[in-house]
Amino acid sequence: CAMLLFTRCKKVLEEEPRSTYTPDFFKTEKGVLGGITSQYAHLRLIYGQPYYYNTLETGTDEYTYASSADQNFKDVDLSGVGNLTAASSRSDALWGTAFSNINTASGIIENGGAVPTISAALLAEARFFRAFDYFLLVQTFGGVPLDLGAGELKFNISASRKSVRNTVPEVYTKAVFPDLLQAINDLPDAPRVTGGVTKNVARLYLAKAYLTYGWWLQNPNNIPTYPAANRTDPDNHDAAWYFQKAYDIAVQGISNPGSYGLESTFYDVHVGGNDRGKEEMLYADHTQDNEFYNGACLSCFDSESGNGRNGATWMVTFNYTGIRSAPNPTGDGAGVSPVQREAAQSLGRPYTRMCPTIGAITNTFAEKTLDSRYDGTFTTVFRGNWPKGGTTNATLYNANDMPVTPGQPILSFLNDESLTPGITYPSGASFPGKSSNAIGAGVLPGRADFVISPRGISRIVFPNLWKIGEYRTDNGTGLGQPNATSTRPFKIAKFSEFYFIAAEAAVKGATPVAGKSARELINVIRARAGKWKFSNKDNAAFVADNSAAMTAATPAVIDIPYILAERSREYFGEGMRWFDLVRTQTWSDIAGTYDICAATYGSHTPQTVTRTIDKKYYLRPIPQAQLDGMDATADEKAAYQNPGYQ
Amino acid sequence: QNTVRGKITDQKGAPVPGASITVKGTNTGTNTGMDGSFAIPASKGAVLVISSVTFAVKEVTVGDDNAILNIQLAAAATDLNEVVVIGYGTQRKEAVTGSVASIGGEKMREVPTPNISQALQGRLPGVDIAQTSTQPGATMQIRIRGTRSLTGDNNPLIVLDGIPFIGSLADINPNDIKSIDVLKDASATAIYGSRGANGVILVTTDKGAKNRKPRVSYSGYVGAQKVFAKYPMMNGPQFVALRKAAGQYTNGQDEADSVNTDWQDLLYQTGIVTDHNISVSGGSETGSYNFGGGYYNNQGVIPTQQYKRYTVRGSLDQGVGQYVRVGLTTNTNYNQTQGSQVGLYNTLSMTPISSPYNADGTLRRGVRMIADNQYVYTKDVVKNLTNNDQWVNETRGFATYNSVYGEIKAPFITGLKYRMNLGLDYVQTNNGAYTGAGVGDALNPTTPSSASVDSRNTVHYTLENLLTYDRTIGKHAINAVALYSAEQLRYVRTNMAARDIPADAFQFYNLGQAAGQITVDPANQDYQLSGLKSAMGRIMYSYDNKYMISATLRSDGSSRLAPGHKWHTYPAISAGWNLANESFIQSLDIFNTLKLRAGYGETSNQAIAPYSTLGKLDTRPYNFGSSYSTGLYVTQLPNPNLGWEFSKTFNFGLDFSILKNRLSGTIEYYITKTEGVLFGQTLPPTSGVTSITGNIGTTQNKGFELGLNGVILDNVNGFTWDAGINFYVNKNKLTSLASGQTRDEANWWFVGHNINAIFDYQRVGLWQKDDAYLNTLEPGGNIGMIKVKYTGGYKSDGTPERAIGSADRQIMDVDPDWQGGFNTHVAYKGFDLGVVGFYRHGGILFSTIHGASGYLNLLSGRRNNINVDYWTPDNPNAKYPKPGGIVSSDNPKYGSTLSYFDGSFMKIRTITLGYDFNQSLLKKSNIKLRMYATVQNPFVMFSPFHKESGLDPETNSYGNQNVSSTGAISSNTGLLNRLLTVGYNTPSTRNYILGANLTF
Repeated sequence: CAMLLFTRCKKVLEEEPRSTYTPDFFKTEKGVLGGITSQYAHLRLIYGQPYYYNTLETGTDEYTYASSADQNFKDVDLSGVGNLTAASSRSDALWGTAFSNINTASGIIENGGAVPTISAALLAEARFFRAFDYFLLVQTFGGVPLDLGAGELKFNISASRKSVRNTVPEVYTKAVFPDLLQAINDLPDAPRVTGGVTKNVARLYLAKAYLTYGWWLQNPNNIPTYPAANRTDPDNHDAAWYFQKAYDIAVQGISNPGSYGLESTFYDVHVGGNDRGKEEMLYADHTQDNEFYNGACLSCFDSESGNGRNGATWMVTFNYTGIRSAPNPTGDGAGVSPVQREAAQSLGRPYTRMCPTIGAITNTFAEKTLDSRYDGTFTTVFRGNWPKGGTTNATLYNANDMPVTPGQPILSFLNDESLTPGITYPSGASFPGKSSNAIGAGVLPGRADFVISPRGISRIVFPNLWKIGEYRTDNGTGLGQPNATSTRPFKIAKFSEFYFIAAEAAVKGATPVAGKSARELINVIRARAGKWKFSNKDNAAFVADNSAAMTAATPAVIDIPYILAERSREYFGEGMRWFDLVRTQTWSDIAGTYDICAATYGSHTPQTVTRTIDKKYYLRPIPQAQLDGMDATADEKAAYQNPGYQ
Repeated sequence: QNTVRGKITDQKGAPVPGASITVKGTNTGTNTGMDGSFAIPASKGAVLVISSVTFAVKEVTVGDDNAILNIQLAAAATDLNEVVVIGYGTQRKEAVTGSVASIGGEKMREVPTPNISQALQGRLPGVDIAQTSTQPGATMQIRIRGTRSLTGDNNPLIVLDGIPFIGSLADINPNDIKSIDVLKDASATAIYGSRGANGVILVTTDKGAKNRKPRVSYSGYVGAQKVFAKYPMMNGPQFVALRKAAGQYTNGQDEADSVNTDWQDLLYQTGIVTDHNISVSGGSETGSYNFGGGYYNNQGVIPTQQYKRYTVRGSLDQGVGQYVRVGLTTNTNYNQTQGSQVGLYNTLSMTPISSPYNADGTLRRGVRMIADNQYVYTKDVVKNLTNNDQWVNETRGFATYNSVYGEIKAPFITGLKYRMNLGLDYVQTNNGAYTGAGVGDALNPTTPSSASVDSRNTVHYTLENLLTYDRTIGKHAINAVALYSAEQLRYVRTNMAARDIPADAFQFYNLGQAAGQITVDPANQDYQLSGLKSAMGRIMYSYDNKYMISATLRSDGSSRLAPGHKWHTYPAISAGWNLANESFIQSLDIFNTLKLRAGYGETSNQAIAPYSTLGKLDTRPYNFGSSYSTGLYVTQLPNPNLGWEFSKTFNFGLDFSILKNRLSGTIEYYITKTEGVLFGQTLPPTSGVTSITGNIGTTQNKGFELGLNGVILDNVNGFTWDAGINFYVNKNKLTSLASGQTRDEANWWFVGHNINAIFDYQRVGLWQKDDAYLNTLEPGGNIGMIKVKYTGGYKSDGTPERAIGSADRQIMDVDPDWQGGFNTHVAYKGFDLGVVGFYRHGGILFSTIHGASGYLNLLSGRRNNINVDYWTPDNPNAKYPKPGGIVSSDNPKYGSTLSYFDGSFMKIRTITLGYDFNQSLLKKSNIKLRMYATVQNPFVMFSPFHKESGLDPETNSYGNQNVSSTGAISSNTGLLNRLLTVGYNTPSTRNYILGANLTF
């Protein structure tokens, strides 16, 4: 480059990126901090991802597929309407996210030690998430690789297209337990940032991991594992040892709550606006205040998934906008939509992909008046909001052609079957000559709201899941932005779970400390469930304390089925259920059949559906993207896959 | 009246037999005899017109005396002495040994378009030009002899007036083009080294001519654009029937079975296209000049979509004394693209049983369908929103491409020259977008407004030092070039977005006024600096015009590759044998031209993004409650071994012309092997990283090309008819992948198949009532669902061993079997009629609107649907599945398989009727005037896709564009970005154009 014009000519072949980071940046303090932030941010790609959420609920006793469900929901219901395969499994959200995060965590742990300003407490956050991901993976898929290409738990920067799966005990004893023990040791008592992990969060996960591994070692129903491994512990402990450790650590967590604790009512745990309350120990955060950091649009007609969108609540929302009321006192005239799509916790964007089973409403939540948790879990009354959508009618004519005004109930799901003999259902969507209803709901004499009894719940009309419903403060006087994904954090772990873990460990034989027997622990939760502050059904303040009645109703002897039922009442629809049923190996017993009415308006006769829950389903298939991406023969790929999915 | 006698000779003085001589303006005519002599009655002052196939038409005015006229004809433009541009010089076509396809500016402009690439479509064998968008101002994808690189760039290098061109072809005004020369094989492109691996397109613009008085040229046209075909959506009754058949959705608040609205009719308008160009050229004894300007405007069929371009161009060439020449060329344009925010999905998916009007006759903001609320877009709504400053999207581009040169002849060594070229380019695009409060949101009229600005600019310089030696000594002709060059490109992008602009009038002009959040997303900012240093030498030698050889050696150093792998050197050699100049061929008296060519060359490709060797962290924004932070994670691994991808090409060619040059043609065969293919490989999730770029794998392109031009009628009773056809085959395949692997399912790469392969299920029909094993093969399936090929085994009792699953996916090659183009031209007494067309046969046409990613063929009755023949119990032999059957991601299960159509079609690109006024009104004038009328896109033939849908089978999108979801086929959405598809872009148009060319 002989030209005098260009003095920088000799540098023509050198490179210096100025708008993107290279992996070397991880060797700086800010790089390590950025890596730790992404540990939290990766939670969004798993929690709130609607299809992954579905894999943890559909197919259990809590949920089944609803009328607008596609194969993502039908396959996992295992009721003969689909086929769960490597290609159709939506556990890919976990598989596809976790390893990248594990690798970043390993990078932080390896590089961070060399940065003097990075404390052990910060590195422990990365350790926590590495263990967290491995714990999720091992529960979902069985044994998974610890070596990503650079050695076990090493930061991989090679283009590895081979993969070898470790066994379940290896994953627990080499990855999950050591990282969590180190994390408990190094993490602070109080979170570094809002929603940051602490000693107690690590305790919760270690207690749960010990409990789960204890069950795995015990294997009471002889569920196969993969890759093949003996049910013996490399660290030479038995199941009882792990149950005791689970109990001890959970009790330690309860006794040293730090900044955590139980909310005074169940309502407070789930009401929008209290999403980062003291009971919440871990969540995938979102915000309504900043579109960029929320990671998803705040006001658009968005898609349900991708890039960490929190679209889970849409799945469990039925299309209430199909309800019609009449404009004329005679019940005719072009039907008007009285309950319009609104960004409200009880409403939100309808997708009608998953519906609760009738058994969940009638058995799990058999008690609906003393226990506040049914009312704090579901939207059972749909109220008129039409002026917010610009519809100008002052009055509409609803059930029995009776007038309704905005705010009044339009559709109610009844608490029980006591009024059922008096309900008249239309044979289709509407009564002849009437423009109202249009969703096949029934009438009760003298009532202006349409009604459906618990055993009349169908795949197309069902109570919405209030607890994870949308909550926004920018609706003004209108309907707000129901078409944007939820800006609430998706909650992952709660302080209350310490009580359940300890109780379950105690039932499994752990020796309790005084005052913390299984029954006493469960009664803490049940006493709180008896406390009312607000009634969603009546949309009004309602103060009651039924704690005494609730604890009195607790059986004298707590067993696993009771703990599972109590867990369902506490954590219904929160993505816990599949793990609970798989851990306790009770899935096929508890969810083998369910009742639901058909997916057509006016259908109110429950059908009993049988699921075929083979033992192979206790492990999810390795996603097709993994097999497609591997450099391996067809036989090697088949051997990599979990049995029964080849 | 006298009898004029004379003799016609060629350049060498040999007699020209059979030449036609006519007296202009009369029917009087004769032909020359074997000795070239003629006699014709003509008066003094009459004009004799002499024409013969291989020579340029010449006019001679009969003078005073009766002297014998000795007329020497010059070679016609198609003659062997035609000069082609070959890069760093020109060469007589006769001496070319590489593979070069050329087209002159006039010929190219037979297709009036704003973009060279559109005009070249189907015109040159081996040059595959495909549409990537139908929006006004859109550009095309060009592939020369197929696709070589897997994830690297496959675009050819454009060289504008000798300087590598970094801009868009849309920046060059076709009216300024003198010629286009395409270098196809490596022996021709090797001089461009790493830039030339994908072929080179040399664009030469008009220069002035020496010793000519100033001449003014004007050309222009105006036209109307009509929608070629509406997207075939269902009408009201058809949709009502579908919703009923699917049984899944009831009518929404604003829907009624009795309504029948055609939302496309409410949106589309007649487009307008206008083009005006004027230029002045001339020259003195020592210099020449040419400058001019142009204006192009296209208002599209979708309201507010518009593309405008202003161009200014100039060239100056001046000798200074005996030994020095200097010159400069500048091409500058300003362009504006508007309205790209207006998409079609809403219009197409809106149910036809909803009305745009309320009961009181006022226009609705939105329509409440059963599961969707959609904003109402009509012509007037869109125009009013734009006119009221509420909805705009505007891209303003400014580009200036400049080159200057200085040349010194060595005073003492004949033929030796030193030249320095300096190219300086600056390209800038600024996009601004604004959406007013509530615009587009059917539900919430108070949704805050949003605005964004995006600015990109590129600065590029090239510096070349050239030493050339060009001399003919007796029968030896030698031309040698040595080059040393450096170039550098700096690209910077800045992007900002804001919410809640207080006043619509601000649009995007002051984001600082935003009341809401201002976002500067790190993913939308960019900086790239890359450089290339090169040294090259080339020698061309020919002996007696019979034997030619050309040899090139080039070394390139690229900043983009890893240290230690930055430099690569590659040779090229080619030879030619001009058989026609051998006496034993001449004695056959058949061939006017016969030349054999063979060449071998290596080229390489650095086409990876800058910084690819270094690895990359991506960002993940996150909120900890109300405090914000940006996470970092590894997405791309560093690769310190990343080196060049290079191609080796063998090329064999034969040029011939027979029947006194009335039939001429070129046949070529080539084979290109590309090694060390740069590969952005998707890794399995367990590696912990998304991808790595590496040199892995090999590809091969093998092909055959044929170009034929013939004069069918040569002035028979005033008729002239000529025709040209080209035909080419390119067989593209992957020949190896990393570590002996034959399948890379994650990346859809399979040894032995096209790089552009699709890996998906193969539709074989629909499941019918009597078909066995539905429940075994398709658990949860239903009669009337799509049936795909099952490749598994069967048990002894004949039942299938397993359900259909991912093991049944098939590899489907996308590339066509063969393709080409044709043109024909008939002239009679000043009238001329021309037709230009192109065709392709085989391959897959990928229609995303029919498949799962378009969300227009849901067959659920939720939104409007493509009007397809679907299965019902009474119509079991339909092509499309039962509405309301088994679904996957909202679509019929295996819905993606409905995308694949036979890719064959033939398309008439233009039909033009012109009239040359110099044949009548302006007969004796210096003013030249031609007017013409053109229809563009009049017909499509032999297209199964067109037959079914009525749509244009030309692609209009990449697979990730103009679709609603890319996840429907593969979770790896990047796969679709490389495939061209028919999506729901702006509809393609049929254009009616009137134009004029005027010179004085």
